[in-house]
Amino acid sequence: MESLERVLFTAVLFTYFAAMVLYFAFIAMKKDNLSKGALIVQAAGFLVHTCTIVVRGIAAGRLPLTNQYEFASAFAWGLCLVSLIFIIRFRFPVLGAFAAPVIFLIIGYAAMQSKEIHELMPALKSTWLGFHVSSAIISYGSFGVSFVLSIIFLMRDRITAHGFLDEHIPSRQKLDLISYRSVALGLLFLTITIISGAIWADRAWGSYWSWDPKETWSLVTWIIYAVYLHLRIRRGWNGRAAAIFAVIGFICVIFTYIGVNTFLPGMHSYA
Amino acid sequence: MSTGKKILKFLSSMQFAVILLTVLAAACCAASFISQGQTYEWYAGVYSERTAAIIMALHLDDAFHSWWFVMITLFLCLNLFFCNVVRLPQLVGRTKKANDPLHVIKGPVTCSKENVRDPELLIQKMHMPKARTVQTEDGKTILFSQKNTAGIWGAWVCHLGILLLIAGFGLGQMLKQEYTVYGVPGQTKQVGDTSYWITIDNFETRRNPNGTLDQYITELTMRDVSSTDGTGKSASVTVNGPASMYGYRVYQNSTGWAADMTITKSGEVLQEQPLCAGEFALVKDKPELVIYLNAVYPDLIAGANGMPATASEEPNNPGYLYSVYYMNEIIGMNILEKDDQITIDDYTVSFHDPQNYTLVQVKKDSFAWLAFVGGMLTLIGLLLAFYLQRSVIWAEKTDKGYTVYGFSPKAGVLFKEQFDEAAAEKE
Repeated sequence: MESLERVLFTAVLFTYFAAMVLYFAFIAMKKDNLSKGALIVQAAGFLVHTCTIVVRGIAAGRLPLTNQYEFASAFAWGLCLVSLIFIIRFRFPVLGAFAAPVIFLIIGYAAMQSKEIHELMPALKSTWLGFHVSSAIISYGSFGVSFVLSIIFLMRDRITAHGFLDEHIPSRQKLDLISYRSVALGLLFLTITIISGAIWADRAWGSYWSWDPKETWSLVTWIIYAVYLHLRIRRGWNGRAAAIFAVIGFICVIFTYIGVNTFLPGMHSYA
Repeated sequence: MSTGKKILKFLSSMQFAVILLTVLAAACCAASFISQGQTYEWYAGVYSERTAAIIMALHLDDAFHSWWFVMITLFLCLNLFFCNVVRLPQLVGRTKKANDPLHVIKGPVTCSKENVRDPELLIQKMHMPKARTVQTEDGKTILFSQKNTAGIWGAWVCHLGILLLIAGFGLGQMLKQEYTVYGVPGQTKQVGDTSYWITIDNFETRRNPNGTLDQYITELTMRDVSSTDGTGKSASVTVNGPASMYGYRVYQNSTGWAADMTITKSGEVLQEQPLCAGEFALVKDKPELVIYLNAVYPDLIAGANGMPATASEEPNNPGYLYSVYYMNEIIGMNILEKDDQITIDDYTVSFHDPQNYTLVQVKKDSFAWLAFVGGMLTLIGLLLAFYLQRSVIWAEKTDKGYTVYGFSPKAGVLFKEQFDEAAAEKE
């Protein structure tokens, strides 16, 4: 099972890389057909990735969402899923060209982590693990998409100088709305992550909120996106300022995931 | 505008909310980078004396309980409270107006389409509820369909939820009762200064076949000595499996090593008791003489720099690091190995039978439910705000069919696109 998982994981790496190259080629060569090919390859990569996670789960005999490798892989999976939904829903293949490198970076980070399967420590043996971590994956994936959309928003005028991208990138108003939709999805799932984490922490550690660095940074992320939402509805601050906050928010997401574990060890040090 | 009204307007404003949220996020970031609960000497050692002085002066050593953090949170609560108070009548009015088709059709329009033959089909394609017929003041008949008016209340419910969450957490922090009880099987200990006592009936460290840790299980009995019923309540407590007894929650918190201590005087056994690492015992007939068990090494080896360490968690070669105090002055400290004894005047002290002790946490937080309700309301509020976005479609009869209008204050351009597509399909 473990060797099968390694083969599948390598296939995922190559497929996501191929999708990224195809998306870049679509923009460079200005051929719409390439975007369809890129989308198909990304969707195929997503399916193989799903199989990889399932195989890992069978091999480990538990939900594969407990260490840096497993979570990084699931994070890339979540980002791939949400980006696919948004590309298809809003017919926006250029989003794929910006999301694919982020997905590839995250899966690349997963590839650098130890893939060894360990037994779970007692605190992690809980049914809340599934709710808590899977909602975090959807949340982080959605924030990843909003980050990409905000980057496109901020760069729109510069990258649409020639007609092809101008035709393929929605108006700033629409970009702002799509970004808002992804932040909304992310914030909703981050709230579920924080609440389910608090309920679980109460059962495992006897306290639903301990100002552990991971908890604190999840709250910081939540606050940043709350500010984003307030700025969006405030006249004169929507658009650029909100987009900047969405970018800052995703930097917080990355810091909560990698930075906290590296620089601020706490009760979540296993994650 | 009077000063009072100006202050109220600022306290309830979104501008104030954004400032507070930004300050709160910055404060949390700063506090997360500074190790909490350390001493001045610790900070001076890690940073510098000047930085340590700044940390202590600004209460950054306990930032989340400092006066300034509490003040930020209080201002946030005030902002949420006044915002909701000010917005309540506005929202009631908006809801009334939203439910009055005659008012809605006079309002703003996001999109429109003329000469539509079958407006009901367009409404259906937009996934709107079945249209109802409304008579306008000037006698016209219009078809009116609206959904998700409850979404108007999303932000208000979310704010209320956050307010209750902070209130529940704050009150819980101030008024909760929290105690720890530790011991080895057979020991009975009082829960803090309450009338409850806990007996540790059994403690097991369960391991997986490969030797890794599976679970800690404490079986215990809790009794209320003020009650005439002396039977008590028994339960099994594990990590992730707390027990509820007499209104308290009992959690499996941690474990460590303990040993049985025997003190003899002139060859006679004077005292026998289990002692956990980090615990001390007063000699019965000479209380100024104190034995302190610093640490238990179940498989004693010489570690780095010759310091004692343990090779495994199996009691293969137990070693006991102890200290002896007389009249609060330390008079000796050493390691005892198997069959070793300490002799102090007529007294002989020995340690044997190393075993794991269990530490359980006993807690009563009467406001946790309020925080939970707050959390749920926050979630419901977000759901209402994000996924129940108000949309309205109405159609007016004209000579060439119908003119259909659409309005969605939040979905804007996306709603218009969907409307235009549905209308084009119709054509």
